[in-house]
Amino acid sequence: MKKILGILLILVLVSTTVFAAGTKEETGKDVTLSVLWFNDANEDEVFLNTIDDYLQANPHVKLDMQIVAYNEFDQKLKLMISGGNPPDVARITTNTLSVVVDSLEPIDNHVADIEAVKAQFLPSMVAFASNPKGEFIAYPTEATANGMLINKTAYDKAGIDVDEVSKDWTWSEWESVVKKVVAANPEMKYGLSVDFTPHRFSTLMYQFGGHFLNEDQSNIEFDNPGTIAAIKWFKHVHDAGLVPKSVWLGSENPAELFQAGLVAGHIGGSWNINTYNKNVADFEWKAVRMPKAEINSSVPGGKFIASFKGSKNQEEAFKLMEAFADKTHNEMYSRDTFNIPSRVDAQVSYPSNSNDFEVFLEELKVTPAFTANEWKNTNLSKVTTYIREQIVEVLLGNITAEEAVANVDKKGATYFK
Amino acid sequence: MRGSTIVSTDRQPVYHNHMKRHTKGNFHQTAAPLLFLLPNILIFGLFIIVPAIQGLRMSLTEWGVFTTPRFIGFANFVELAQDAVFWKTFSNTIVYSLFTVSLIMVYALALALLLYKNTIKGEKIFRSLFYIPSLLSMITVGIAWRFILGDEMGIINYLLRRFGGSGIPWLTDSNLAMISIIGVSIWAQAGYYMVILIAGLQAIPIELYEAATIDGASRTKTFTAITIPLLRSTLLVVMVLSTIASFKAYELISVMTKGGPGYATKLIVQQVYQVAFLEDRMGYASAMSIVLMLIISIFTLVQFKFSGREQGYE
Repeated sequence: MKKILGILLILVLVSTTVFAAGTKEETGKDVTLSVLWFNDANEDEVFLNTIDDYLQANPHVKLDMQIVAYNEFDQKLKLMISGGNPPDVARITTNTLSVVVDSLEPIDNHVADIEAVKAQFLPSMVAFASNPKGEFIAYPTEATANGMLINKTAYDKAGIDVDEVSKDWTWSEWESVVKKVVAANPEMKYGLSVDFTPHRFSTLMYQFGGHFLNEDQSNIEFDNPGTIAAIKWFKHVHDAGLVPKSVWLGSENPAELFQAGLVAGHIGGSWNINTYNKNVADFEWKAVRMPKAEINSSVPGGKFIASFKGSKNQEEAFKLMEAFADKTHNEMYSRDTFNIPSRVDAQVSYPSNSNDFEVFLEELKVTPAFTANEWKNTNLSKVTTYIREQIVEVLLGNITAEEAVANVDKKGATYFK
Repeated sequence: MRGSTIVSTDRQPVYHNHMKRHTKGNFHQTAAPLLFLLPNILIFGLFIIVPAIQGLRMSLTEWGVFTTPRFIGFANFVELAQDAVFWKTFSNTIVYSLFTVSLIMVYALALALLLYKNTIKGEKIFRSLFYIPSLLSMITVGIAWRFILGDEMGIINYLLRRFGGSGIPWLTDSNLAMISIIGVSIWAQAGYYMVILIAGLQAIPIELYEAATIDGASRTKTFTAITIPLLRSTLLVVMVLSTIASFKAYELISVMTKGGPGYATKLIVQQVYQVAFLEDRMGYASAMSIVLMLIISIFTLVQFKFSGREQGYE
């Protein structure tokens, strides 16, 4: 009896093992793609909705989305890469691209005709997404630009036709206009808030004729008349009470100040259209052309998705990215996230705010090409925090604009050795 | 009695040399304690000693996250000596630590003295109220206080303006920003140290206070002659722990001020993070960390030296 029981037990064990092996065989094709993501607003939801049809058609593909705060995103990604465990797919900005450029898996290795793929996207996006060897390293998902969003209700209350005055205004004209706006709106305290980032400051810097790097991008050259003029002007508008000190000195959120009706305008990114569309209900707002100093300029940027050298599921990752970047999906994603599409053939019909996107596109059209090259420079990305600190030192009155640019050049030169 | 281990004369055990020879090799008295300690020793070695040695090695290299380390000797330390931003963060760290630690000691001791006797009604509720902030994440504390102290959107300034006053630049004035982060640090941490001090106070024998009262000692005299001497070792623990915590303060300051305005509230740890992860100079950041470790060690040793003497009482 014991022998029979023993044989039965062995049979059960063997059959269980065989079935288990069979199950493993069947699920062997299943792929879980790790996706590292950050949000400006609700892009993760839109991304998942956009590729829902792809996931339905490919049930063996699952996504493991890890959403990280933007402030911590670069560090997290760097640690994952340096630890030999990069994600299969990541959403990245132009800033991050410059940092991780050597770790990205070129799309060239995964498509038959890379030139045909590149031709589908805006030239500025292709420039950002190309590594020094000319390989295409990331699919552009949306184009971004810096621009000015204003509180139209406040301008109207001051009797100012903002569409008319902003057609071709200068910063000195803006100053006199915005003083009237603030005076006409008792709850309003300031004329403009500018994001606490070197990227947004560079909008002003380029308008004043300044730059970060020398012409061949081989060294930092922050010490130039345009940059000094921009820093001095920035200090002037802070001292004059036209710009709140709490943003650059106290790291308050400029978008919140705008939404609270405390400032008449905000220089931010095109993604703020989406934010304000959701959050602002108390007043009418719109995008207007930014005033000019020496020239009109914005700063181009973008968001991308990419895979990495050493990613575990590259094949499926590239299939997913290719699908997400096609015309239909790109239009859908751009429409639902209120972003400027990255494809040249995209025809996006936004539910609202089409005119605001047009304004940002107009800004991009007059932006000098070198600005994109500066912002994709890896060495510049290492010194931008120091640049921000030095500008704050000028705003505090601790150093002069001339001293700040000299300090930046001294420190920056160590990265361009 | 040859071979006996203990010779009792005045009822006190006396251990002889032959006894030591006998117990040598006794598993329970030699290997067993070591085996019990082994997991801790391994964890300590793996997560403290090895990274510290690795950090020291990295500080002698030029190394970015994606590049191969290159040995450069003490060049990072030489550069550090001439780095104005580092010395600014160094002085900020000293100022922040001195004020935070000393004020935490005073405030936590005051709270403990008020709440240790179990004589006031609702004492346990008060203890909980003061202790709760120390359970919160420093990031949460930072966000909450930024919401309270913000220049334009802060609650305090909103109320001040509502009643006709002008706002106070809590976080945009260099001096006020430092005072603000010190104040919030004390608010957030004092409860934790209060609990430690309450335990220390409750361990002091009540008979000593009764004897002092019978002898006619004043409250001040009782406090300085009994409470403080007998609380010395607990105070030392509080001082060492709060000093180490203050030198490593990162989240609260990053959230509340981002180290600003300018460099006004930037501590060494913020600079280490910036240099390592934003400027991609791991070697240089490691050199800063080594200096920070040395400073903490020196402070701790000094504290032990001046405060750690054993106190007895008759």
